[in-house]
Amino acid sequence: MRTSTFRDLFILLVIGVGLFLGGYLLVKKIGRSDFDLSFKVSYEQEEKLGNLFKDLIWDQFPTEKDNAADSALQQIKDRLIKALDTTAYRYQFTIIKNEQINAFTIPGGNIYVYSGLMKAAESPEEVAAVLAHEMGHAEKRHVVTKLMKELSVTAIVTILSGGDPSTLTQILRSIIGNTFDREQESKADQFALELLEKAKISPKSLGRFFERLNEKNLDYDENLEILMTHPHNDKRIDQVRKYKTKNDFKPEPFQIDWKKVQGSL
Amino acid sequence: MEFYPLQQPEEIAEREKEDAMGAYLMMFAAVAIGLPLPIINLIASVIYYFINRKKSKFIHFHSLQALLSNIPTTLINWVAVIWGVTIFLREDWVITQEFWAYLIFAGACTFLYFIISIIAAYKARQGKMYYFLLFGKIAYEVAYRVKPADAQSTEPVNKPPF
Repeated sequence: MRTSTFRDLFILLVIGVGLFLGGYLLVKKIGRSDFDLSFKVSYEQEEKLGNLFKDLIWDQFPTEKDNAADSALQQIKDRLIKALDTTAYRYQFTIIKNEQINAFTIPGGNIYVYSGLMKAAESPEEVAAVLAHEMGHAEKRHVVTKLMKELSVTAIVTILSGGDPSTLTQILRSIIGNTFDREQESKADQFALELLEKAKISPKSLGRFFERLNEKNLDYDENLEILMTHPHNDKRIDQVRKYKTKNDFKPEPFQIDWKKVQGSL
Repeated sequence: MEFYPLQQPEEIAEREKEDAMGAYLMMFAAVAIGLPLPIINLIASVIYYFINRKKSKFIHFHSLQALLSNIPTTLINWVAVIWGVTIFLREDWVITQEFWAYLIFAGACTFLYFIISIIAAYKARQGKMYYFLLFGKIAYEVAYRVKPADAQSTEPVNKPPF
């Protein structure tokens, strides 16, 4: 082959790589972390949808308010939100009185944590890690994506314009009980690890909590709902272990009397 | 390596110019039929090439250039189709940034290919050569190189008796 043929081949490769990188940078610049089904539902619609579910939860689940645990949760929330660069959500964290060890996110940045989880956590950092993971699901719009998959846009619009409460309850059950897929869990983990580091909370807390629960799960405990909804396989635990914080990272522990918090539940 | 001399526009018949142009334009119709399976245009190019290559060296060159330049675009678009189908078959339908970037890349490549094909078709209609990067050189070499078989065939078959 002639030299000029190789030169042409090289130029074509450069053009190809250039076009691909150009496309990638363009996608990055547009800034959607996931171009998925969720973009069909606006943040305003999501907030409205969240409000409907909030009312339903308010009616169906007893919640903890104005006690040491609630104020601890608000402290954790403030630290995490301060570490977020930007967010389209007005986050609300609420404790549900229930012995199960679980946490879930509903549309509109509303995150619920069970009192059972607060009791099982050995420190506020561990709760922060679970909440950061749930915020990951919200920020990556996994909840809306899942709803879109199950319901379609038309159904969501119908619900927003005054849906049937029994349908809403059914959907809520599905949100609480269903798992996200492995890729979504992994993305939420990655989000949580980065957020925890920014919030000066040790990212290791995420792995520690789940590993302990995994061990506990060997003696079957029916309250370990979170392991059903958040299956932590080896790959994900590995992801947490491998996460490297910056060299100058120094965790700042919460000034919370955790025993007192657990006592108030 | 020896090559046949290039004909100049005035030496090329109108019919030849039209056939050479057709190699590029036919692909547009084939693309429209082939969507979303970007294979029809390649098949059409192959058929067009084998039907027309013997007509003249000018047509041979253009139809081969159209065929060769079709291959990378077809492959790129095929990857996009297969990738898209795997996303569709998965449960969550999550479309990653990488896939969007690839779609933009495939779209840009196809657009670029359309533009140069239109230019090539226009030049071919005028009876001019137009060389694409890499494919132009290969097509020229295949169409215009003097092959040993050609040299033998130049010997007259009918000879006088003495």
